[in-house]
Amino acid sequence: MSHSPLPSPPSSPFPTTRREFLRLSRQGLGLLAFSQYAPEFLVRSTLAGEPAPEKDRSILVLVQLAGGNDGLNTVVPFADDHYYRLRPSLGIPAKDVLKLSDSHGFHPACRPLHRLFQDGQLSIAQNVGYPNPNRSHFRSSEIWETGSNSNEYLATGWLGRYLDNECTGAPTGQDPQAVHITNGLPQTLLAANDHATFGVSGNALGRRQNAESGKLLEKLASDGSDSENSPANFLKHTLMDSLVTEKRVQRVLSNYRPESDYPNGAFASSLRNVAALIASGFSTRIYFVSLSGFDTHSNQANPHQNLLRTLSEGLAAFQQDLKSRRLDDQVMTMTFSEFGRRPNENESRGTDHGTSAPLFVLGSKVKGGFHGSPPSLDLQRNRDLTHSTDFRQVYATVLEHWLQSPAKSVLDSPMIKLDFV
Amino acid sequence: MKSASAPNDPWEPLPKAGWDRAAAGHLLRRIGWTATPEAIDQALADGLTATVERAFPVKAQLLPEPKVISELRAASAQFGKDRRGATATQRRNLQREARERFRDALREISLLWLQNAHQPDRAAVEKWVLFLSDVYVIGAQKVRNTVLIHDHLALLQAHAFGSAPELTKAVSRSPAMINYLDLQASKREAPNENFARELFELFVLGEGNYTEQDIKEAARAFTGYRQRDNRFVFARRQHDAGSKTIFDHSGNFSGDDVIALAYRQEAAARFLPTELIRFYLTDQALPEGQIAALGQWWRHTDFDLRQLALRFFQSRPFFAAEFRARFIKSPVQFYLGLMQDLQLDVAPLQRFTLQPLQQMGPMLFNPPNVRGWIGGRSWINSATLAARRQLVQSLFEGIDERRLNADEQVELAAAQSRGSSHFSIESADLARQLPAHDPQTAARQLIDKFLPAAVSSEFYQVVVDALPPANSPDQQDRARLLIWETLLQTPEYQLC
Repeated sequence: MSHSPLPSPPSSPFPTTRREFLRLSRQGLGLLAFSQYAPEFLVRSTLAGEPAPEKDRSILVLVQLAGGNDGLNTVVPFADDHYYRLRPSLGIPAKDVLKLSDSHGFHPACRPLHRLFQDGQLSIAQNVGYPNPNRSHFRSSEIWETGSNSNEYLATGWLGRYLDNECTGAPTGQDPQAVHITNGLPQTLLAANDHATFGVSGNALGRRQNAESGKLLEKLASDGSDSENSPANFLKHTLMDSLVTEKRVQRVLSNYRPESDYPNGAFASSLRNVAALIASGFSTRIYFVSLSGFDTHSNQANPHQNLLRTLSEGLAAFQQDLKSRRLDDQVMTMTFSEFGRRPNENESRGTDHGTSAPLFVLGSKVKGGFHGSPPSLDLQRNRDLTHSTDFRQVYATVLEHWLQSPAKSVLDSPMIKLDFV
Repeated sequence: MKSASAPNDPWEPLPKAGWDRAAAGHLLRRIGWTATPEAIDQALADGLTATVERAFPVKAQLLPEPKVISELRAASAQFGKDRRGATATQRRNLQREARERFRDALREISLLWLQNAHQPDRAAVEKWVLFLSDVYVIGAQKVRNTVLIHDHLALLQAHAFGSAPELTKAVSRSPAMINYLDLQASKREAPNENFARELFELFVLGEGNYTEQDIKEAARAFTGYRQRDNRFVFARRQHDAGSKTIFDHSGNFSGDDVIALAYRQEAAARFLPTELIRFYLTDQALPEGQIAALGQWWRHTDFDLRQLALRFFQSRPFFAAEFRARFIKSPVQFYLGLMQDLQLDVAPLQRFTLQPLQQMGPMLFNPPNVRGWIGGRSWINSATLAARRQLVQSLFEGIDERRLNADEQVELAAAQSRGSSHFSIESADLARQLPAHDPQTAARQLIDKFLPAAVSSEFYQVVVDALPPANSPDQQDRARLLIWETLLQTPEYQLC
């Protein structure tokens, strides 16, 4: 992996990399010139010669499909008459699906994903859900994100607990341990301990004001010279730490030249930005991006098709980009959604909140193909699917077989693992 | 009140000359969520005493019970009936259903609490109730019944400005507390010590001011305290009416007697004032003697909570320069202060209110443990500071309605039809809230309006330099919006 030196910003009063810091130190500015508000990582690592965190480790990219993706119209059971009975107007005709097997096929908008499936880089975990499903967006997202039972309330997210186990007390270096490209910290990353979690506001990414106000903030927070241990100085330290990361991130993102064509739109650019951070050699192992709009209660055909196209094209461009840089071995991408949708379409040519749905795991190291069994559609009117794979089985598999971390310290009950990796 | 003051009383009132804009700002930010220029004008016109007396009324005006709570209360009775005739599976399902309703209701009353506390004339009362709930802690993790949580808060509100011993007695009968500290399971043969311990340690005296034996004996006095159907009941047959020895006094003490005995201990006079100082003024320890002086005076008022508030918030130490603009805002204060500063309504959308609050540090009905919040620096780390900044950014960015779920769109439309519709900052707010245009005046206006203290000349200069001259209005507006948004992300704005 090439780790090209980053150009130093001409106007900044602060060094933003270790290298730059040392260069400035050599120029006679000295450590003390910066020690007051110098980002903690610089002071720490320069003083103690702390080892850098490991690189080249497995990376997980989590893709949230917010709103509840309609699984039945994503991976279509075209050989099942029940499907067409349940979906008189929304059903995708068998002749249009992109065949994955004798019984299932992708929605036609998923052509790029279909190709990845054929190449053995995409695995589909079927009919994933949990017992006693909840149909509230808020609550079901919480269950998925915290990895809880449906009657259990956890204060931390499943990857937050992973960070608690793996990263507490570990050298943090200058890179965040998790990056989320969403507005606000996803519950998935809520942890008991403080971790360097960095957020790039989602739809605001590239929002000019954020970068500009970051610059201004840096100037405003560098004033003052009192060295006392006051709350204001404590806040300045904490802020400077995150501004420095923010600036490094911004620079990486704006200098990035992708090796594939990403489509337009916020989702693809989120993935492009994840690729940029991975390619720049960040030691971050957890990324979280989100695509919303899946709450398709009425006239869903067109919007759902567009969402699937956005998802497929984005993921394919991302995978291609990683591949061209030979980073694809290091990265696994997984989707999830708070629930699938009701098998019966409703009176408004849409679908209401349902239960289980398929999820995707993408990467050159995954075992492609189907995992688990599809749901039975032999259902009474307005009944829901019964899940056959618990979402925590997927989590346990990712934790143990990909992140090499014991699942039992993240998930309460032992889970039978799948074999997609 | 005056007669109790010794000549060298460290808690004497602030001299008249000290009551200026900065002092008024300090008072308003500490008793409420922020200090808008209009509120400061009002406070200066009314004077210190009138301002504090209005903020802490003799009786807090009680709000009508939220519909969601009345409905749940009515449903609880039915729920009990349904359970009795049900099979095990049905019972489990009913249980789950009830749990869901409680959780939804908890979110709803959290939102209602925010919307209510957001009103300037309710701020001081609601913050005081928040303070009391940080002493008389219960947590939704254990007390899952939202009706009980609501009732506990209502109880704190009803007793908020009366006698502290009466409040403590009421809390010992609060069904939520009975549940939270295991009085429900306390029996004559096997008294549970949890409540008795916290009564001494966390409600009235503080650690080190009682013996283990005192706790054991006190626990016997609270046997038989139960809650049934969301109400307090006294189970006489479970109560140990025998003789107990507590703090070297013997008698057939009841629970109320134990509370009265506890307040006769010397430590009782210091305990709540210490908590008050920690919640409202500083996380640095004040000299023992200074707190003792306030405590002694407070004992003479028969532990009147309102008197304590009136005296404390008018005192010289409260206004001391060393405490001004040096207190880190709690998540709730940051959130509500921000909404008041920006003249925005609290959006009825969890994703834009409760979720950011959760990211800044869980606070409402969600203490980390029986001790309540630690406060101060513990509120701030890289993630929570980022959450504060993102909240600000999102308010300047606006809510993209296309990205809302169907039920959120319904909520939003309903709020808009009720006339509450100002959820984010638009350029029209600039003209209304910040009329100045030349760089120097505009800079002053922004800084004075939003930051709790004067800034350095370098800071001021950075702001001025970021403003283009007044003759390019479009650029000016853009720059002022940007600085506005930025000032709210500064370390200075995190302080009050």
